[in-house]
Amino acid sequence: MSEVTPTEPQRLATDARDRVRFEEEALELSDQVYRVARRLVGSREEAEDLMQETYARAFRSWRSYTPGTNLRAWLLRILTNLNIDRGRRKQRSPEMQPLEEGDYFLYNRLEESSREPRSDQDAVVDRLSQDDVVAALSEVPHDFRDVIVLVDIGDFTYQDAAQILDIPIGTVMSRLHRGRRILKTALADQAVGG
Amino acid sequence: MEFDELCDKCEEWMQPYLDRELDDAERAEAENHLDGCGYCRKRYRFEESLRIFVRQVCSEEMPPALKQKLAALRTPL
Repeated sequence: MSEVTPTEPQRLATDARDRVRFEEEALELSDQVYRVARRLVGSREEAEDLMQETYARAFRSWRSYTPGTNLRAWLLRILTNLNIDRGRRKQRSPEMQPLEEGDYFLYNRLEESSREPRSDQDAVVDRLSQDDVVAALSEVPHDFRDVIVLVDIGDFTYQDAAQILDIPIGTVMSRLHRGRRILKTALADQAVGG
Repeated sequence: MEFDELCDKCEEWMQPYLDRELDDAERAEAENHLDGCGYCRKRYRFEESLRIFVRQVCSEEMPPALKQKLAALRTPL
């Protein structure tokens, strides 16, 4: 009935234009996606492989992306799924050592190890090195690390992280809480000795 | 002794506060408590600076060659 049904060449032209726009937008986000990817896996090589697989898949299945929604989260969802599928994740039991001091652990350890009491909080954090942080983060089991990386490095909301990892938002919050405690415990070990 | 029962709530709110996930009323209550509690303020500042530090040192630039490889995966026109 419709008299505005596009002709086949018109349809193809529109399709090509939408695809090009999608690919350009996805590529513009690649730096941000890489920053997350790099910390989800153990090495730069793995991160590069994962990025290429992710973009190859994204370019193939661009039609399943809904324009106007969060493209960065959509790309990260592909990436985290591929990361799991490839069996890179050596799952460790989430049962960890007891964390009696909880959130205070790192703070207390850094303060204790300092000769003079410090009031400047930045100075306390300055006692950590980049290597300390990278090593400590790699010690956090994957399930917990994934949410820390998405929220703290990727700057995703809890809701986005829940959608990317396909887990309930309450699970995001509990994994974040526990993951950050594990990270801080590992940091304390790195920074002031175990 | 500065610690009181409000500090417990403040502690519970610290992570969602720093993650900007509290609603307006909770945020206002947390900030009101922080204004008057040096102990919690110190804890928040530490957590915040730690968060910023972790983000900075864990952010690795993408190698330029990878960017070219990704662009090469685009559908040919």
